[in-house]
Amino acid sequence: MYPIVLLSVLGIVVLYLGFLKSKSILLPATLLFLVVAMIGNFFEWNDGELLYFKGMFAVNKLTLTFNAIVLFSAFMIVAMTQGFQDNEEAQPAEYFALMLFSLVGAFMMIGFENLIMLFLGVEILSVAMYVLTGSDKRNLRSNEAALKYFLMGAFATGIMLFGIALLYGASGSFSLNGIESFVTLNQRSPSYLLYAGLLLVLIGMLFKVSAAPFHFWTPDVYDGAPSIFTAFMATIVKTAGFAALFRLLSHSFSGIYDFWWPTLSILTVLTLLVGNIIAVYQDSFKRMLAYSSISHAGYLLIALTSMTKQTENAILFYSMAYSFATICAFGVLIPVAREKSLEGRPNESYEAFNGLAKNNPLLAFVLTVSMLSLAGIPLTAGFWGKFFVFSSAVERELVWMIIVAVLMSAVGIYYYFRVIMAAYMKEGDTATIRIAPFYKIVLIAATLLTILFGLAPGLFEAAM
Amino acid sequence: MLTDFGILLLFILAGLGLLGLILGIGRLLRPDRPNPEKNATYESGEEPVGNANVQFNVRFYVVALLFVLFEIELIFLFPWAVVFGNEDLIQQTDGRWGWFALAEMTVFVGMLILGLAYAWVKGYLDWVRPKPAIPATESPVPAALYEAINKKYESKTVNKT
Repeated sequence: MYPIVLLSVLGIVVLYLGFLKSKSILLPATLLFLVVAMIGNFFEWNDGELLYFKGMFAVNKLTLTFNAIVLFSAFMIVAMTQGFQDNEEAQPAEYFALMLFSLVGAFMMIGFENLIMLFLGVEILSVAMYVLTGSDKRNLRSNEAALKYFLMGAFATGIMLFGIALLYGASGSFSLNGIESFVTLNQRSPSYLLYAGLLLVLIGMLFKVSAAPFHFWTPDVYDGAPSIFTAFMATIVKTAGFAALFRLLSHSFSGIYDFWWPTLSILTVLTLLVGNIIAVYQDSFKRMLAYSSISHAGYLLIALTSMTKQTENAILFYSMAYSFATICAFGVLIPVAREKSLEGRPNESYEAFNGLAKNNPLLAFVLTVSMLSLAGIPLTAGFWGKFFVFSSAVERELVWMIIVAVLMSAVGIYYYFRVIMAAYMKEGDTATIRIAPFYKIVLIAATLLTILFGLAPGLFEAAM
Repeated sequence: MLTDFGILLLFILAGLGLLGLILGIGRLLRPDRPNPEKNATYESGEEPVGNANVQFNVRFYVVALLFVLFEIELIFLFPWAVVFGNEDLIQQTDGRWGWFALAEMTVFVGMLILGLAYAWVKGYLDWVRPKPAIPATESPVPAALYEAINKKYESKTVNKT
């Protein structure tokens, strides 16, 4: 609750700080505001279950932990923003303000207790992302991505709104508790209005987390958007989206599990296949990361489909491990692509990484750890993420799904290792890339956290 | 017993029926003598020129956006006004209710005003955007001197890429 109010107000403050002559205050101010929001987030840690806005918004330890992951990821991404000061076209105040506002939307999605609040959160998050996607105004690809994202996103939101209307029509309530009691009362005599509504809401939400077959926008949008905002999209939208999906399915619709799990399991397998197999054929590292984000949505969907007691923990841990690794990957991509730029545009292909390790051992190491974590190799956080996801599926006896997932992880190793091979084994001449000290600290911190949670995953549960 | 949706259906049907009835009566009663003048599109008494399917200036969208923003604000003001003037609530709280409601609305309108002010200062409300003024400096130091210094310390400057 506090971070929502704080970031709404501080976002406006950032917007108005943009009127100052010096743009250099914006970055430290935004980072400070994120820290303030993080402190505000933990103010309610020991208060148990709280309800706000006439029961429309809930705060408990789970939502606070999700908030903390989102805030921490945002802090790292904002800390990595660079070059806005030198760019005449850039509007750093507006970018930072939009980032803070979009976090407000993410918090609403994480803690909603009422479908109206979910819709509001999705919209606040998405509208900010549409603008950030198109923020590189002179780049045609960025414009195309923004338009595509906006049109498809608007459709998905419309479908979700229709689903919410049908859910209201069936149960007579927008609140999760109201729908839950309707579902438990009418388990025997199904309401088709409710089923249709649930499916439409699921379609809307699965679009936002880019699960197949609603993934078509992902590669183009991730590719076209400026890398720093792609990192923001890949981590924060995904974490918030899965938090919202988990809340919806575990809270209101656990009574009709038998209805939605077959649908979701088919989509899960489809997402895993599409994400991993198409990623193999990519020549651009950034586009590969887009498909990898689709495939990680697939792994998270496994946890959602199994919906056991472990699911909560699995989704939390997986989204955290995925966020840290993705931030590292983009954190290495941005300076390397800028160094190797072709015709004034950053070069985001695999070739840009050739021979990176020779003069940039730190960047190559960060890249390696993040790729190992994304591939799910032991001693990284990504391994335990996959482990928790699979063990929740084992508990539900969804063995066939695990077989598909393990096969697809093997495919994943191929394309994740391609960039490691390029960095260490291929010939290439990359000069030593200068990195700002703060940028370096963020990269090292994210890498160390990935290894730390890989060595001791219990630390995370202990902190809860 | 009708459900709420049943009433809605009846309402829609009644609306369609009434529309059909009125148009039908009009059709039966009116004389039918068309001419090109009558068939032309009516646009505020102006004579229509060309096709309506043309590109509009993008600035209209900014105006439309601001209009929608403040229209929504007005829509929120109406239900608020009803609660604000509720005599029972005012008497129960010795008049503090009014101040509370006023403060809440001030926060809401204040947020929107901040947004408007931002758009104003940025110049999005000006129909004719002013040309950017390129600042010119009159320095007694000749430009060649700067270039010489830059060249001299070229190797030491931080590569900003």
